[in-house]
Amino acid sequence: MFERLRRRLVDGELSDEELHRAALAGSGEAMAALYRRHGGLVYRFTLQMSRNDAVAEEITQEVFLALLTQIDRFDAGRGVLSTWLCGIARRQLWKYLERSEPAAALDFDEESVAELRCPSDGPAELLLRGEAIAAVRAGMDELPPVMREVVILCALEEMSYEQAANVLAVPVGTVRSRLHRAKARLAGLLRGEMANTERKRR
Amino acid sequence: MTNDRELDEILAEIGREHRSMGAPDRLEPVLRTAAGNRENAISAPRLRVTRAWAAAVILLAAVATAGVIWQTLRSHQRQTQQVRSVPVPQVKPEPMLPSAPVTKSAPVHRAATDSASLRDSSPKQAPGNSLDEFVPLPVSEGLPPAAELSVVRMRLRGSDLQQYGLEAPPDAVAQTMLAEFVVGEDGLPRAIRIVR
Repeated sequence: MFERLRRRLVDGELSDEELHRAALAGSGEAMAALYRRHGGLVYRFTLQMSRNDAVAEEITQEVFLALLTQIDRFDAGRGVLSTWLCGIARRQLWKYLERSEPAAALDFDEESVAELRCPSDGPAELLLRGEAIAAVRAGMDELPPVMREVVILCALEEMSYEQAANVLAVPVGTVRSRLHRAKARLAGLLRGEMANTERKRR
Repeated sequence: MTNDRELDEILAEIGREHRSMGAPDRLEPVLRTAAGNRENAISAPRLRVTRAWAAAVILLAAVATAGVIWQTLRSHQRQTQQVRSVPVPQVKPEPMLPSAPVTKSAPVHRAATDSASLRDSSPKQAPGNSLDEFVPLPVSEGLPPAAELSVVRMRLRGSDLQQYGLEAPPDAVAQTMLAEFVVGEDGLPRAIRIVR
C-alpha cells in the first residue's frame, strides 16, 4: 500500500486530503510530504509572529502533530489544509504571546490604533531601497500582533482575505480593516523614516 | 498615494524573500516517526481487541466443553444411580444345611434348571445363598430319573425343610419362605430353590 503511495507522492498527484488520510493510516512518507508542502507556511508565519526560531520550530512541530491527533477537527469540506494548519499555529502562537508579551497581545483595541494618513508627496525617492525595507521590517515588528498577523498572511503570504479570515477566525471585513490600519501605520513609520533620512542629508 | 504604492512594493519584496524560507528539515524525521508510531498505535489496540476476542472465544469453548463433559458425567452418574436404585428382588438368605449329602446325579429337567449347576452345587452350599440355583434334595436320592419335570412354587416354614432332608438354621426355623420345587412326573420333589 505504502509503495504505491510513494510512487504517487513522487508524481505529486496526491491531494492534501489523501495525504492526510495516508498519514493517519501510519504513512510517514505522507506525513513528510504534507510537511514539505505546508511546513514552510506554518514555520514562516510563526517565526514572523514570534521572532524566535525555537518557538517557531516548536509550534510548527505541534501543529503537524495535531494533524495526527486532532483528526476530527480538520474538515476538508470547510477549508483547505494550509489555512487549518495556520489556524492551529495561530492559537499556539497566541498562547505564547500571552505569556511573553501579555499587554501587546491582549490589550489591543481595534479603534485605538490611530489611522495615519499617508502623505501623497513623500520623499520616498530620497530613501534607499534597503533602508525602506529595513524600516518596514522594523515597523512590522512594532505592530500589534493582530495587525502583524494580517500583514504576514495577506501581504507576505499573499493569502486572499477569505483565506486569512479562515485562519484568523474573523469576518473578512475585519481582515480588510486590520490590514488597512496596519498598512497605514507602516506607511506612517515609513514616512517618518524618510523624514529622518532627509533631515540627515540636509 | 506614492507612499502606498511604495509600501506595497516593499511588502511584496519582503514577501518574496519571506516565502523563499522553508520549514526546517530537522522536523521532517520527527513527524515521519510520529506518523509511523501512529500506525503502531492504531494496530496495537486492534491487536489487543483481536486477542481479547480470541481469548473470549477460547474461554467460551472451554466453558461449553466443560459443561458438556459435566452433563455427560452427571447423566452417566444418574444412570448409575438409577441402575443401583433398581429394586433387586431380595431373597432373604436362609442358610440351610443339607441334613444328608446331596448327590450330583440327581435327575433334573433341563427346562427347570441347568444340569451343570446341579452338578456343581455342593451339598454344603445352602440353597438360600444363591438366588436361582436349585439344590438337589437329599430325599430324592435313589429315585428314578424323571422323564418330565415341573416347577412348583410353594410357601413353607423353615422347619419344613427338614422333611426334605435339609436343615434350616435355628433363626430361620420359624420363618416362612417361598420355595420352588422341581417335581418329577411321579410327584416327588427332586430339587429345591429358595425364592424369598
